[in-house]
Amino acid sequence: MREVGINRISRREFMKNGFVFAAGAAGLAAGYAAVPDVFARAVYAAKKDGVMNDKVLVMIQLAGGADGLQTVMPLQDSRIRALRPRPSAAIDQALPLAGTTLGLNRNLRGIKSLYDQGKVAIVNGVGYPKPSLSHFDSIRVWETADPTRRQVDGWLGKTIAKNYDSQGHPLVGCACGTSEVPGALRDLEATLSVVNGRDTFKFNGDDADRVMGAIYNGTPGIYGALFDTSVYTARDTIARLRTARERYTPKATYNDNLNLVYSSKNQLGAAMRLAAELVISGVGAKILHVTLGGWDTHDQQLQRHDQLMAYVDQAVSAFHADLTAYGMADRVLVATWSEFGRRAQETASAGTDHGTASSMFIVGDRVKGGVYGEMPNLTGLDRDGNLRFTVDFRSVYQEILASHLKVDAREVLDAAYERLPFVKAA
Amino acid sequence: MGKQAPSAAGGPTRRTVLVTALAAAGGVAASRLLGLRDLGQRRVASALDAAAMDPMADAMTGDEMGMPMDPSAIDPTDMPMAAAEPTPQPTAAPAAAPTRAPTAGQEPITGVTPPDLATGLDWVSPLDKESARIAHLLRRMTLGVSVAELDRAMSDGYARTVARLVDTPPAEPPVLAAAENATGSAAVKLGDLQSWWVDWILKSPTPAAEALTLFWHGHFTSDYRKVGLNNPFMYWQNLTWRHMSLGKLADMLYQVTIDPAMLRYLDLLTSTGRSPNENFARELLELFAMGVGNYTEDDVKAAAKALAGWRQPQTQAMVDARLAALAKQKKPLPSNPPKPDAVKTGVFEPTRAFTGQLLFLGMAATFDARKLIDRILTSDATATFITRKLLTYFATPSPSASWVARLATNYRRSGYETRALVREMLLSPEFTAPETYRVLVKSPTEYTISAAKAVGSQALTRTILSSSSGLGQTLFDPPSVGGWGENANWISSNTMLQRANFVSTALGQMRALPPATGVENRLLDGVLGPRTAAELAATKDDRRRWYVILASPEFQLK
Repeated sequence: MREVGINRISRREFMKNGFVFAAGAAGLAAGYAAVPDVFARAVYAAKKDGVMNDKVLVMIQLAGGADGLQTVMPLQDSRIRALRPRPSAAIDQALPLAGTTLGLNRNLRGIKSLYDQGKVAIVNGVGYPKPSLSHFDSIRVWETADPTRRQVDGWLGKTIAKNYDSQGHPLVGCACGTSEVPGALRDLEATLSVVNGRDTFKFNGDDADRVMGAIYNGTPGIYGALFDTSVYTARDTIARLRTARERYTPKATYNDNLNLVYSSKNQLGAAMRLAAELVISGVGAKILHVTLGGWDTHDQQLQRHDQLMAYVDQAVSAFHADLTAYGMADRVLVATWSEFGRRAQETASAGTDHGTASSMFIVGDRVKGGVYGEMPNLTGLDRDGNLRFTVDFRSVYQEILASHLKVDAREVLDAAYERLPFVKAA
Repeated sequence: MGKQAPSAAGGPTRRTVLVTALAAAGGVAASRLLGLRDLGQRRVASALDAAAMDPMADAMTGDEMGMPMDPSAIDPTDMPMAAAEPTPQPTAAPAAAPTRAPTAGQEPITGVTPPDLATGLDWVSPLDKESARIAHLLRRMTLGVSVAELDRAMSDGYARTVARLVDTPPAEPPVLAAAENATGSAAVKLGDLQSWWVDWILKSPTPAAEALTLFWHGHFTSDYRKVGLNNPFMYWQNLTWRHMSLGKLADMLYQVTIDPAMLRYLDLLTSTGRSPNENFARELLELFAMGVGNYTEDDVKAAAKALAGWRQPQTQAMVDARLAALAKQKKPLPSNPPKPDAVKTGVFEPTRAFTGQLLFLGMAATFDARKLIDRILTSDATATFITRKLLTYFATPSPSASWVARLATNYRRSGYETRALVREMLLSPEFTAPETYRVLVKSPTEYTISAAKAVGSQALTRTILSSSSGLGQTLFDPPSVGGWGENANWISSNTMLQRANFVSTALGQMRALPPATGVENRLLDGVLGPRTAAELAATKDDRRRWYVILASPEFQLK
């Protein structure tokens, strides 16, 4: 009988820990009354006092290795013409950035306009030491914020696990427009939503939602509470998405009918529309992730890259206009990332091979607009013919985490990096 | 009966609660056995409330229903907590995923009622019955239970079934030519490779071999992203893991080391004596054989040198494709044209290897791959590591230290015969002890395959595969070199939604379904929670009854 007692205590300890957590979350929620805005319901997701705010992050992954030199172009560097005569023809139509020697891709008209309004930070030369030229490895480096590739958890997933109650708020971290959890959002201790289409996140079959609610109730066994809570959360999310639909009508035009020659199959417009819906309707979204593939331009880069630029430009512009119309553009940061840029020199088939450093865009009303980071020098290429990075990508992550989401960046990144102050002081 | 059999908590027995709830539900009186086990004193009140809500809750007792009494439900000495070993469950699962009550104070915008959490209650084990032990064995070792498998095992009995599962050589899947002949210009499609395996899992007359192949796929893992599909290597790896699934550990580790997919996945093919790559060496020690803390960084460096010098093999198709590509680009053919290799393993190139003495795990010698593995097997840590991994995957998330030690000792004594280890695991009293009942969550593959087997369909491969990524397990694509997570890691709001939707899609694919009457006894040992029992009792339509059964919490567990 003694053993019985001992083991029961450990069982109770487990239960107590579970309840302690719930009590903590309830305590936070008690502060809700002071936060009148419907949108600020996201504060419920906070499990740390310091991170109770209404800021949202949307990461756009440009999968396949998006070329930097055809995105942000050095207009007066003759070497680029020599290294890549065919892709560099894009320079002729570039949109010059006032006060710099740089120009944006001709199809980034919307982003250029936001830049001129001081709402876009362009960070050049972003990369990391000892770069990997493998998609697989370099995606993992960016996802885990770890060039040594020993981390498993994604940096966004880790941010969620450490700061927000994702189990109770499944839309805190959400991958939009995909059926898979992107590596950046992955963390064993975080509950994440993957919503491919807002209309498909539901229990299929009439009565299925009710049946699931009925049978996942008081489930015994060591996983019982976890099962029941998960099903409850799913049903709750479904209801929230329904609410979102009721509360939201897009005030901008999202378009996926661009007829890309090299279609990536990603519906970026629809994904960004869903992201806007989750943000605007106030269902508790904090960190959203969308992906656009098709950037691996080993051939015919001039046309392919320009088309993809137009696609991104339209989706980002529509998203920003939508949030602006709802008065929320100051709460949301949109950032682009890609596993690497591309080789300075073109290939025989008018494309480029895998490269290293590239440029990132950060868009939002809280952005301190301008150009950050030094453009890598085209005369100082590395032994593979690639750009040498000038900004560690973790500096960008750090600013997003610390200045925008206001969480402990060091806890996620395990170290401090040079500050890149592209977020306005609140 | 509650009066005659006081629970360890001294209060009303959980059994009373459940039995009365079930009696009220009716329709499942045939269930051989049911009930909840009291896991502690908490939540008892709410569980009673739940039962009290039912107007008929007191109408009948278990005895009146004619149900046999399960002594384990009431005898405290037979309860999981009463075992001399630390209780297996409570420590493992909660650490991975702390259970939380839904957050209070949310603005009630959704109107969805939070569930009552029964954290203190456990299933009553039916494993004192041979038939339940057999079903338990099949759930753990054969990726679910088909009617034919269950009938055969029931007539054979537990011990003979173990012997058959362990001693029957794995049946070979059919050749997948698209994978065998994959090249840079004709890659095998991931979907084709996955379909090939899932089709085979559903058909194979030796399902235990498939369960073990899946286990090793997660342990000695590789993924198609890094290995590529422009070669047959992931396909070969699957065949190799099946062949070796119950082999001698020394042979297994050697085959893992020189497996072409593994050579690519962990960079051993780029490793030379002069410039060794530590990736494979580190994982061999850390994840595959010994576990962290049982070797030093110097051992990793030494192992990297000892294992250097392997290259990947070339198939005839790969050579042909390469020559054709050169011809197409109008490039001159190399003066020394590439030749296909006769083997389906890595090829050792002595000129790239390390020569000289190394100090590895305290022994100074010249090491090659085989000698290095032999040295690894002299460490006590190795048998313990592999034994624990098998037990946590197939038996319980926290096997007792004494069980691990006993099996590990015998494993080592047997010369690391994995067949003997698995046999001993399945025949151990611990394997069918009450505390192992429903303590493992089915992986997505186990869940979808077991559902297909339950309804007797071999035509659900496409549905299974299209659900897999949403459920969190894509075959040939583990999330990391550590393989997949387990148990609580499989459960989230999204995956529970996807699991339920898999069931409705799968059932929708089937024109006719087997009768759903009594299925809860065959598939779920008749051990149902009160809500599942009530829903089942209220559901007359076969299709809907199948949905309740396959989407139920009971069916998520193995």
